[in-house]
Amino acid sequence: MSAPANLPPKEELLNRAEEILKQLEGGPWPSHVSELRKTRYPLHVYGVGLVARKSPWGPAAVKVEFLNTGVLSRWARDWVPGGGSEVHFRVFHTPGKFLRTDFLRKITKISRELGVGLIELVGQTGALVLNLTPETAEAMVDALREIGTDVGGSGDAIRALNACVGPALCEFALYDTLKWYAEFYKDKRVNDNIVTPSYPYKFKVKFSGCPLDCARAQRGDIGFIGVWEGAPEVDQELLGKKIEAGEVDPEKLAANCPSGAITWDKEKKELRIDGTRCKKSMHCIRAAFPAIKPGKKRKVAVVVGGGSKGRFGPKLGWFIGYLEPDQVKDAIDLTFKVIGPWEAEAQPKYRLGDYIMHLGLDKFIEKAGIKLEGMPVSTAKMPDEVPYAVLPKEVRERFLSFAQQLKGRV
Amino acid sequence: MTAASMNPKAARLQKVFPVDLEKFLPERVLKNYGQWVDRKFHGNGIIEHISATGDRIFTVKVGMPPNARISAETLDKFADIADSLGIGAVRVTMAGNLEILTDSLDKALKIKEEVEKMGFPVGGWGRSLWGINSCTAYLTCTTAVVDSPSISKALGDALAPYFKEEALPAKLRIFVSGCPSMCAGGTAIDIAIVGQWGAPPKIREEVIGMCLPPPKALAKIPETQIFLVQVCPTGALTLRREGDKVKLTLIGEKCINCARCKENCDAFDYDPENVGVAILVGGKLSNTGSGPRLARVLVPWLPAIPPKYEEIVAVVKHVVEVWRQNAKPGERLADFIDRVGWSKFLEMVGLKEVHDYYQRVPEFARTFLAFRGRGDVYKRLRDAL
Ligand code: SF4
Ligand code: SF4
Ligand code: SF4
Repeated sequence: MSAPANLPPKEELLNRAEEILKQLEGGPWPSHVSELRKTRYPLHVYGVGLVARKSPWGPAAVKVEFLNTGVLSRWARDWVPGGGSEVHFRVFHTPGKFLRTDFLRKITKISRELGVGLIELVGQTGALVLNLTPETAEAMVDALREIGTDVGGSGDAIRALNACVGPALCEFALYDTLKWYAEFYKDKRVNDNIVTPSYPYKFKVKFSGCPLDCARAQRGDIGFIGVWEGAPEVDQELLGKKIEAGEVDPEKLAANCPSGAITWDKEKKELRIDGTRCKKSMHCIRAAFPAIKPGKKRKVAVVVGGGSKGRFGPKLGWFIGYLEPDQVKDAIDLTFKVIGPWEAEAQPKYRLGDYIMHLGLDKFIEKAGIKLEGMPVSTAKMPDEVPYAVLPKEVRERFLSFAQQLKGRV
Repeated sequence: MTAASMNPKAARLQKVFPVDLEKFLPERVLKNYGQWVDRKFHGNGIIEHISATGDRIFTVKVGMPPNARISAETLDKFADIADSLGIGAVRVTMAGNLEILTDSLDKALKIKEEVEKMGFPVGGWGRSLWGINSCTAYLTCTTAVVDSPSISKALGDALAPYFKEEALPAKLRIFVSGCPSMCAGGTAIDIAIVGQWGAPPKIREEVIGMCLPPPKALAKIPETQIFLVQVCPTGALTLRREGDKVKLTLIGEKCINCARCKENCDAFDYDPENVGVAILVGGKLSNTGSGPRLARVLVPWLPAIPPKYEEIVAVVKHVVEVWRQNAKPGERLADFIDRVGWSKFLEMVGLKEVHDYYQRVPEFARTFLAFRGRGDVYKRLRDAL
């Protein structure tokens, strides 16, 4: 980007940058500037950006042999006095993002010795981000591989997988998200498509253990969300105790169920839940856990086509059916079935969701050859609001036959 | 043998994925894997997980600086605390908070004390601010329009009490993104702040050549095969013939400021005078209440003036206040807006100026409508401002 108009001369620019940086160090919230000061990050570049109200960074091209994704590099724009560079690695996070202190110290050691002593604990891909200098890039990849992780996950490839903490530290986990996460990583196809960017756009895979969706699976290109069939399970006795202790108000519980599935029988002191109506909002479960728990029959709901970026703007995923909690191998195959037509046909920079919008979900499912339990009958996300269209004869006839069937019955 | 297989560095093509639970999970977590049966909250920022084995893990949630940026030095100090008062492990959350794990409430409270001494807040969970996600913006990003970390800092300063001790009606999360790429997590969140150019980008003629085929080829290739033309969702970028030259042209009236061109080519520029942020409200991802949905645009443009960002902070604080005063307990901003209705919500906020384009167009049709010659959209947006 070009220099902004009216940029003050060098000395004044740097002074004003420092002034703004100082102001960002006050206040009750922890300051990123105070942290940056403890590192070798070129802070003046950031400060100059804030004065100019323009990003001070331009693209650079630091290359590391046999590392095609996960390395990002910048040069300060020519209007930044003193210049500077910024290089960072996207490093695969640990399962559940647990960091044992021995491992954490290895990371900080690498960061101090081969990097600039600066870490971004989690990026939106779920990666751990380590800043470094171009000279140490080679050494740093090897050091990271040595301690059991690696660099990767940028560009038009499969990005770092993301799973919620799951059974490791959550009562609600309805399938083993961390096991799925591990099995996906172990698959060669997944490895190869993380290593080499060759898709129309990025592809994100996410695993959430329950409908609270902590891993943000609704926003992944493919997401797996733990659910149960029917009604939540009620332990009437324990619930009774909780009600007596004043921890749970059964009337409120029923009133706050978004699907009106809960009724409270005052006489019998019994809480009934209509499984056919329950929308799996998790409300009653969170309010009265463990007296109310998710039902025993567990499933993994599959959603496809979500994402924040993309040709057609931000979108949430479409639900396309269920897998069983032990069907992780099938989930991996399904992922590549989903990728197939998109990889072959989508225009550059179309996210999977953009491609599906373009094609229509029905046609996409047909093309990808997806068959899942509980597939929605009609897969259109929303009906059209525009009352005119160019329709092929077969489509018109489908609607005609629908009406004709009804004629006989009504 | 190929050249690649002779080079020892080619081993890098097989990634080392950190998937071994035995290696990466803390012992106490491994021992109780899948056996957690109950949970209790102990004020903002401390949660207790109870296992069927009788074991307990207490987690203390610590707010991190914007963009979860932390020095190795400070991180080592947290490791020290996790060793002396915890079970030798921490956990990072998607919201960019750091959780320190321990085995008793006593120790959890001591951790809280120590962490607060270091100047970091403990909070989140339940009816509070759970965190502010910020993308990297001016810290490293080449396409950033506004600087989300410093906006997040200003918002964190203003909303810190809601993280630490003051109650909100329900969970609140804020995503701050420096540009329409929305790397802070998109708009499916309670409050989303998204930087934008405010006016169509300008093509820097002297460098645009980098992103196009050589001039001779450009004159022959069909327009639909040109990458930048493909990338632009509205047809605002097209090829025009000027004499014997073919040029990439930007039709301002068609541009929706989506930033996809800039994201893919460094030759697009903007004027800081027009730059600002949009504020969106009422999105969420979790299936609670009436389910996941994208947020809606409340304010399509506000200036972003560092370091205090007073305009943005004022609007966000005001929205939180309206929600706090009027929502039922447990009602997230999205569910609250749903219950009272969008128009009523606008009335409560006191906003008369609403740009209806953003509200009427169904999400999937936006682009197609723009194609259908809605050339006046952009002009109406500017007029509304
Ligand atoms: S999970 Fe939600 S929808 Fe289902 S019964 Fe409980 S409150 Fe109602
Ligand atoms: S949202 Fe925009 S400014 Fe922020 S990191 Fe992404 S591309 Fe950069
Ligand atoms: S901002 Fe978007 S709509 Fe405007 S020219 Fe660039 S790609 Fe096209």
